[in-house]
Amino acid sequence: MVIVKRKELTLAEKLYLPEVLRGLSVTFRKMFEKPITRQYPEEPLEKTEVTRGQPRLVVNDDDSIACVSCGLCEAACPAYAITIDGGETDRAIEREPKRFDIDMLRCILCGFCEEACPKDAIFMSDELELADYSREALVYNIEKLKRPKAALQGRIDYVKKINTRWQTHSST
Amino acid sequence: MNPVLVMILKTILIYGGVITLAAGLTLAERKVAAWIQWRIGPNRVGPWGVLQPLADGVKFIFKEELMPNGANKVLFRFAPVIAALPAMMTVAVIPFSSDVIIAGVNYGPLSITDLDIGVLYILALGGLSVYGLIIGGWASNSKYSLLGGLRASAQMISYELTLILTILAVVAMAGSLDLRAIVAAQSDVRDWNLWYQPLAFIMFVVATFAETNRHPFDFAECEPELVAGFHTEYSSMKFALFFIGEYSAMTVMACLTTVLFLGGHSVPFLPDAHWLLGLAAFLAKAGFFLFLFIWVRWTLPRFRFDQLMAIGWKVFLPLSLVNLLATGVVLALK
Repeated sequence: MVIVKRKELTLAEKLYLPEVLRGLSVTFRKMFEKPITRQYPEEPLEKTEVTRGQPRLVVNDDDSIACVSCGLCEAACPAYAITIDGGETDRAIEREPKRFDIDMLRCILCGFCEEACPKDAIFMSDELELADYSREALVYNIEKLKRPKAALQGRIDYVKKINTRWQTHSST
Repeated sequence: MNPVLVMILKTILIYGGVITLAAGLTLAERKVAAWIQWRIGPNRVGPWGVLQPLADGVKFIFKEELMPNGANKVLFRFAPVIAALPAMMTVAVIPFSSDVIIAGVNYGPLSITDLDIGVLYILALGGLSVYGLIIGGWASNSKYSLLGGLRASAQMISYELTLILTILAVVAMAGSLDLRAIVAAQSDVRDWNLWYQPLAFIMFVVATFAETNRHPFDFAECEPELVAGFHTEYSSMKFALFFIGEYSAMTVMACLTTVLFLGGHSVPFLPDAHWLLGLAAFLAKAGFFLFLFIWVRWTLPRFRFDQLMAIGWKVFLPLSLVNLLATGVVLALK
């Protein structure tokens, strides 16, 4: 058993009042300090390439989609948010998704799809705001997910950089 | 002008002022809390958030009225009224200014009525407000409400003693129960009761915090223990009425402190000041105490209930008795 010896209070502390006044002076001084609040919709968050927002599909410079509907992201997704139906094209890369849905209500923004993708076709964008009036509207289809490569370039470069680092330090 | 008309105008002015002030205090409470915590506070409704109380009021009116099963239907509805009414009625005797003189016509002081026993009237009606809390707590048929109501009654009865005994010392100094006479006795800054009764002043201010159930003595609605205390089961405008009552009580107590200890509407170093200046001085003094209520709330943590009772009965009651006795002896020897 441990006996904790309490500090004996001085008379000034027993009287409360001096301590109360000390506390009041502290809060009074704090009143004139600058607020640290961010007025969110008017002052948006500062986004960097590290921001892991909602996943988006890369559209190449020739307007073709980078995704080949291999289904790895669908398999990697821990929340079962991704649904892909593959299809054929006449292009040199013969496959592309006919349907690519991400249920944004299920998505947990973990970034596993981005890690799993072998074709650098899906990346976590800096888009964070997610609000709508119905559940259906929040199941994003392929048209809603497409983003030109230029818009995602910062994130693409960042992911490539950290992956390189990972490879150089890894023993395998 | 017709004296009845003057009376009605004064009544509208004072009650309108007090209700507006109570509404404004809810905004002030949130604003001051925000400043102390490095936040901005309400700023969406109207410029600088000034219309926030109005928006709150509209919201309260449109909220659903809930009543728990087994609640006493009559008393449940009646309790918020009893809680709010005494505070509003006590405003009637507070003299806000000296004689109002507009264009050479004297309309009398800015107060609804002039009672010879103004102090007694305030104490008697102020004591009623505890009924609102305990009836509301009991009628809700909820254990938290009942505990909150019981705590409120125990606390208010304990601190009413200190309140009355400290006021008695002031009354002895002025030799009158009339609030206007008490103000008149302190017309000079050197005569303010604050200098002669510092101990009574401190005890009175602390007792007002306990009387109005404000931090650090808000055991009647102590959130971590009692959900929301006596108003746990209340919703809609009934809930709002409890708050109007609380803020009106704060206003009355701030005004009373000003009248009893800070010379009411007397302006320091200007004995013959204009009545408007006197009114401004009164509002400034009362405003400081209202600010103090809010300031203390966001500074101090809540006491423990047994500490509150110990301070009330073992420290404040003997001290206020000694203070009254000393005042009496000094006055008798003078």
